[in-house]
Amino acid sequence: MATQTKAAPQTTDRELWSELMDFYIEEAWILDERRFHDWLDLFTEDAFYFMPRRKNVYRRDLAKEFSGPGDLALMEEHKTDLQMRVARLDTGMAWAEDPPSRTRHLVGNLAIQSVDGDEVHCKTAFIAHKSHLETDQDLYTGARHDILRRVDGQWKIARRTVLIDANVLLSKNLSIFL
Amino acid sequence: MVATKKYSIIDTETGALDRRIFVDEAIYREELEKIFGRAWQMIGHVSLVPNRNDFFHTYMGEDPVILTRDNNGQLHAFLNMCRHRGNRIVRADEGNSKNFMCTYHGWTFSNDGRLEHVPGVSEAYYDALAMDELSLIEAKVDTYAGIVFATWDHEAPSLEAYLGDARWYLDVSFNRRDGGTIAYGPQKWLEPCNWKTPVDNCSDNYHVPVTHLSSMLAKNKLIGTPRTTQQEMATSIDRRHLFVNGHSLTFAEVDEKTPRAGHGMTAANRHLFEAYQLDTLPEVERRLGSKRARGMQLNNHSLFPNGVLGFRLALPRGPLMTEFWHFAIVDKDAPEDIQGYLRWGLGGNNGVAGLFEQDDIDNWRQVSLSATSPLARKYSQWLSMGRGHTTDNHPEYVGHVSERYISESNQRNFYTRWEEFMNADSWADISIEPIAADYQGSATLNS
Repeated sequence: MATQTKAAPQTTDRELWSELMDFYIEEAWILDERRFHDWLDLFTEDAFYFMPRRKNVYRRDLAKEFSGPGDLALMEEHKTDLQMRVARLDTGMAWAEDPPSRTRHLVGNLAIQSVDGDEVHCKTAFIAHKSHLETDQDLYTGARHDILRRVDGQWKIARRTVLIDANVLLSKNLSIFL
Repeated sequence: MVATKKYSIIDTETGALDRRIFVDEAIYREELEKIFGRAWQMIGHVSLVPNRNDFFHTYMGEDPVILTRDNNGQLHAFLNMCRHRGNRIVRADEGNSKNFMCTYHGWTFSNDGRLEHVPGVSEAYYDALAMDELSLIEAKVDTYAGIVFATWDHEAPSLEAYLGDARWYLDVSFNRRDGGTIAYGPQKWLEPCNWKTPVDNCSDNYHVPVTHLSSMLAKNKLIGTPRTTQQEMATSIDRRHLFVNGHSLTFAEVDEKTPRAGHGMTAANRHLFEAYQLDTLPEVERRLGSKRARGMQLNNHSLFPNGVLGFRLALPRGPLMTEFWHFAIVDKDAPEDIQGYLRWGLGGNNGVAGLFEQDDIDNWRQVSLSATSPLARKYSQWLSMGRGHTTDNHPEYVGHVSERYISESNQRNFYTRWEEFMNADSWADISIEPIAADYQGSATLNS
């Protein structure tokens, strides 16, 4: 699922790289400090958040490793759907997250793949740890392929594809944001 | 041979349920044999193996199973076990292959189960290996509305008899269109609970307004989905809770305009669902007759032993672990936008990240875990709701029909069915209710 590089010379722009890395660090703190309305503000109005299923297939079938559009995904969310998830938490009765998880998102390995006007295609790797109730622990690892768009001088996520590394998820649910 | 009754875990008079069945390792081992070794189980869907030589890897209980469509188009379900030492011969979720080679010593089986090739069969085995007797272990396979079922027990009754009149109700969701259904998925994840709890939960309409209130409120606020109150659930008389031939069903009596599959329906797209309902009504009525086409909507249900709300599976992984598989099953001939909304809605409600299902799991888990305590085990689960308010002679509906939508009648019956399987020496000891419903319309088990 590598995105085509459209403008190779700009991918060496250290200033842009630092700017985007700051964005991802800030996003991680927002998530881990449970400022979910601030997190929603990081998305454009037309944002699409997509997490395909990851299949365990032979090397010859790697083209089918991720479920594609039109297939069942783990998450396929427009902004309204993400807002619905946050509204749920706000009720105080979203039992999967009440008491809430204690999360830690580590994001790195930022690679800028292309710059196209106000949009940047980039990918990062993440490790997210979830501690829940008394002793539950889940570890999620994967990659995020994002399209970030500059809107009124601020970077926003226009599209996020979360490529999770697990086939069978070793967790009781996916109740946190990745 | 008369079975010696061994398990008495549910008192149907009081609804007291023995908690040991959720944690006891010996009971669990026996379940694998007496339930998962015997019962018809959903294992796949024809759309997962659409082409010749396609395979899809699945499970029956803990046993790994390869669903294949052989070179002649015939479906098979094989234990994924090399007959030599027992290594798995398939290690991927799906693919296309005429044969499967064991990566240990190279024994190779065709996708119709025959042992085709053994390295050194002349030299090392001196041509003394009875290759004909070493085919893959094969389960009996049949399909209902595109869903593939299998059983290890070749003495089991037909799938049609096993589903019995549950099919009369299931048809309302799964057997509507001439083109059949298509399955997307599965999502797979581990739920740390006993496999029976999510199955029993499918008839627990009581929990919905409590466990899932946050999701109903959020959906109501952002996409205009109507929310159901506890009062409506408890008092509505146009919804039913019934048990038939081992299977748990709930449904609603609705008018002909009400969209039948509501997952993914929002205030904004509701008109598309309504149009789909009315556009397809003549076809559905031809297939199912007017009562089922015009007046019924299937709601939560479970198929014995481990089918959970549609084509979703609770696969046992030890007494306190369940691997959950979520498929979205939709009408194959539905327009692309309806399919998309349904797929999104089914996953968004009940998948691993589903708004609804994520709130279920800690309930289920703690219900299971409570049984690990010798102290807690002294106190039964209490499934007394609606006792004495179920009839076997409903004028319209076949089965053990409760007066209200909220009842624990199905749960009492589910654990009684469990007891029946566990106490039976063979299928001869397991009851099958005769098919008695009026199957109007042209739809059959497989078409």
